[in-house]
Amino acid sequence: MSENILIELKGLTKRYGYGDTETFALKDFDLTIKRGEFIMIMGPSGCGKTTLLDIIGLLDRATHGEYILGGENVAGISSRRQAKLRAKKIGFVFQNFNLIEDLPIIENVALPLVYTGYTKTSRLKQASRALGRFHLQEREYYYPYQLSGGQQQRVAIARAIVGSPEIILADEPTGNLDSRSSHIVMEELKSIHEEGNTIIMVTHNPSLTTYATRVINMLDGQIDTDIKTVADSNLPQPVSVKIKKRKKKSTPAIELPAKKSKKRQKSRRKK
Amino acid sequence: MPLLLRTHYKLAKTAIKENRTRSFLTCLGIAIGVASIILILSLMGSISNLVKTEATEIGSDLIVVRPATTKDTVTDIVEELTSANSFQKSSLALKDVRAISDVEGVAAVAPIAISTNTVISDKNTFPSVPVLGTNPDFIKVEPLTIRYGSFLGGQTEAHSVVLGHTLSLALFNTINSTVGQTVTIMGEKFMVVGVLDEVNKSINFDNIDFDNALIMDAEAMDKITGSIQIQQINIKAANTDSLPQVSSDIERALTNQKLGDQNFTVAYGDQITHPASSLFMIVSGMLTLVAAISLVVGGIGVMNIMLVSVSERNHEIGVRKAVGASSRNILMQFLFESLILSLLGGILGLILAYVLAFILSTITPFAPFISWEIILITFLTTFIVGIIFGIYPAIKAAAKNPIDSLKHYR
Repeated sequence: MSENILIELKGLTKRYGYGDTETFALKDFDLTIKRGEFIMIMGPSGCGKTTLLDIIGLLDRATHGEYILGGENVAGISSRRQAKLRAKKIGFVFQNFNLIEDLPIIENVALPLVYTGYTKTSRLKQASRALGRFHLQEREYYYPYQLSGGQQQRVAIARAIVGSPEIILADEPTGNLDSRSSHIVMEELKSIHEEGNTIIMVTHNPSLTTYATRVINMLDGQIDTDIKTVADSNLPQPVSVKIKKRKKKSTPAIELPAKKSKKRQKSRRKK
Repeated sequence: MPLLLRTHYKLAKTAIKENRTRSFLTCLGIAIGVASIILILSLMGSISNLVKTEATEIGSDLIVVRPATTKDTVTDIVEELTSANSFQKSSLALKDVRAISDVEGVAAVAPIAISTNTVISDKNTFPSVPVLGTNPDFIKVEPLTIRYGSFLGGQTEAHSVVLGHTLSLALFNTINSTVGQTVTIMGEKFMVVGVLDEVNKSINFDNIDFDNALIMDAEAMDKITGSIQIQQINIKAANTDSLPQVSSDIERALTNQKLGDQNFTVAYGDQITHPASSLFMIVSGMLTLVAAISLVVGGIGVMNIMLVSVSERNHEIGVRKAVGASSRNILMQFLFESLILSLLGGILGLILAYVLAFILSTITPFAPFISWEIILITFLTTFIVGIIFGIYPAIKAAAKNPIDSLKHYR
């Protein structure tokens, strides 16, 4: 299963400040994440959970250490390449939803596709499909402030998955929600995970760990405990997602050949 | 990397629409700068057009002799304009006029010597009246019409004067009974033999306001003032085709007359309007420079608003970066917005300039002259202003750290 490794962090260190004010958010952090894992990262405030998520999400850089994403060392890549990878491989879900207030939700969902070169029509089509999945299709042209917190978070999840990224990073996605909405959001994340996506989620709520295949407890920038609840061989693999992706890609005309060939390469690799 | 021009355009449009008042006021800053530049350029254009058309109206058979050589560089012209003695140094004299009249192919020769004198009539006294010293040929060279009486010439030429339309009114409160009256210039009495028709063209290549001028014989003027300075000699050629030939003959004759000293210029056709055009070029250049300052102020307004916009949309920048926007995408987004703001200002300025030019044309003799070059310059300038004053806010936006920006929650 070694080829199934998606993310590899080796000796990752993130330091803030110098001299007397020097603090380490992450210290010699090692972590290997396989495709299809649903990881919950827990720990007290200031233990480096969010920093870890930011580094994995290519929003931040480690002070030193290696970060291998899908076989490519991305620790020292340019910020432009980082942006490209963010657009294609990573979807973010934040605690405070982070929707753009001035845009209707369909355009919020379509936002990641803007930077991957889709035409406007195909962007809106895909966004509409993603919203449909979360039963928000009738509210496509509502603005974020017209939705409840739970609905806004579902919009944010739709935005995270619209570009079919492999990795979904969620930073306390239920932190601002009531228990009912939290449950709905977690069920959505679970169904996304079952399609083979890798989800890394930071949470303070221990009751949510039942959704995870692996629970990591962090302390002072290092892993305290790391428990896998599902065997690696039982992890959902992105096979179903691939079929779905192909179906999805049958609409846009130009991107079709290039993306297909990439997917073929990927499946060959797996074999 | 996709350029996303259409997306940026749409985003800019939305952002501008959302802050209508703010955007309008910013545009207004640019518009005022642009309008003043266009207005100045178009006014100057119309003035030099006026001079040019006048030269063509006079006819293509006109040759002009001016003292000294043509001034080409800006410094030369400025020097000429600022030099108090420039007219005193005139190298032309009445004997040159006689020499030119002997040249073959010359139909008429008229010197132009302007001085400013006090003119006294029995009713009024007027200081600073432009007095033009010339000869009877002047009426053949210049398209002037006599309203009453006759032009200079005949037996009493040395004691005759012709008055401009406005001057006649000013001196005698009338135009139709002026002929036969006397005026006193420097103690000498002169009889008014004619009154000119209204010319209403204060700008012409002779630099004479005929409506306010008094025309007298150059010899007589020489006598009363002691010496006259001839600023220009206008020559009418007998034949249009022989213009180059005649002008070179004149040049030769004058050079002989002056014993080889070539301190004069012979011009015909387009060259005639040259000094006037150059003067306007300088004036318009200066005025444009002043107007450009107001454009810079407008540009600073754009920068100010863009900086506000960037800090207001900090959170949006963070979100966009998190979902995959590169710094360049963000830079382009904000640069586009400032470009559109300043281009809108340019369009507004163009409209404003047209309206103002139209209003001006109704109260002044200048027809507004807006050429496609002026419009092109406008758009180029606003484009450059948009980029110069938009780049700093755009760079600032692009350089934002997405993590910090995401914490900026509205």
